Amino acid sequence: MNELLGIAIAAGISWLNFVLIDTWMGLPESPGVKGADFIGRSVQKRGGDLAGGFFQGNIVCSPDASAGTLLGAIGCYLIGIPEGGFIAALLVYIGNRLCADPGYAGTTGALSITVIIFLASFIGLTPQMFIVGMIIAITTIQGIYHPASSKLLGKLAQKMNRYTKLS
Amino acid sequence: MDYYPFIMIIHVDMYVFWSYVLAIVSAIGVGLLVRLPLLPERPIRHSWTASAVFPTAIIAMGILAIFFKLGVNGFYYGLDLALAIGIITALSVKYFFDSIFPKPETEDSHE
Repeated sequence: MNELLGIAIAAGISWLNFVLIDTWMGLPESPGVKGADFIGRSVQKRGGDLAGGFFQGNIVCSPDASAGTLLGAIGCYLIGIPEGGFIAALLVYIGNRLCADPGYAGTTGALSITVIIFLASFIGLTPQMFIVGMIIAITTIQGIYHPASSKLLGKLAQKMNRYTKLS
Repeated sequence: MDYYPFIMIIHVDMYVFWSYVLAIVSAIGVGLLVRLPLLPERPIRHSWTASAVFPTAIIAMGILAIFFKLGVNGFYYGLDLALAIGIITALSVKYFFDSIFPKPETEDSHE
């Protein structure tokens, strides 16, 4: 498969993988630690959405499905499919527990991207494409314009019944 | 004879696959025997309870993958190794988990 096309497809898949898993696991509902609370309220002050801000803060403060997706892809590239993904899931889980997080989102993200990479390898997508794609995906959430991305995350949280009850 | 290497590859892959299945099954089985809950209490996403499925089975899979990649395959194509790792992981989660990964103290960040 053409490399640029492959990266674009991998970025889309990775974006859906980590945003849907993180929202489902309740990242927009409440900040897990104080740092996530500060980030969420700072995003809200700058015109963003509070639930989306909590989502962004939680991603920064502990390895959630975003880190699981990226590390799962790196593990598959370096170690192999599926062993790399399993080892990444274990390491992400340890990282989660060290960051005061129960660890469901991170491990689910690492295992799901391992399955996705295995299936996508049949149509020519490689783990390298998923590594680059995931970096592009996380840049759209954390790296370009927080207020806009937090509003999008907030709308998604409302649709998935995970919107924050805090104010 | 030409098919021999191909058949070997399939056999090895099947043994690896069944090793992971055995690790998961033995981790969950022994976990239930030592009275770990099958799943954390609901809502699962807010629960800190260590259960037989999560994280015991995940830890067993990860440790087995590390052993395989280090070239340690046990005596019976990895099956004995998988069984041992499943049992040891379940016992470790039951008796040592809380001292290795204690539940963090509650923060007052929600108010």
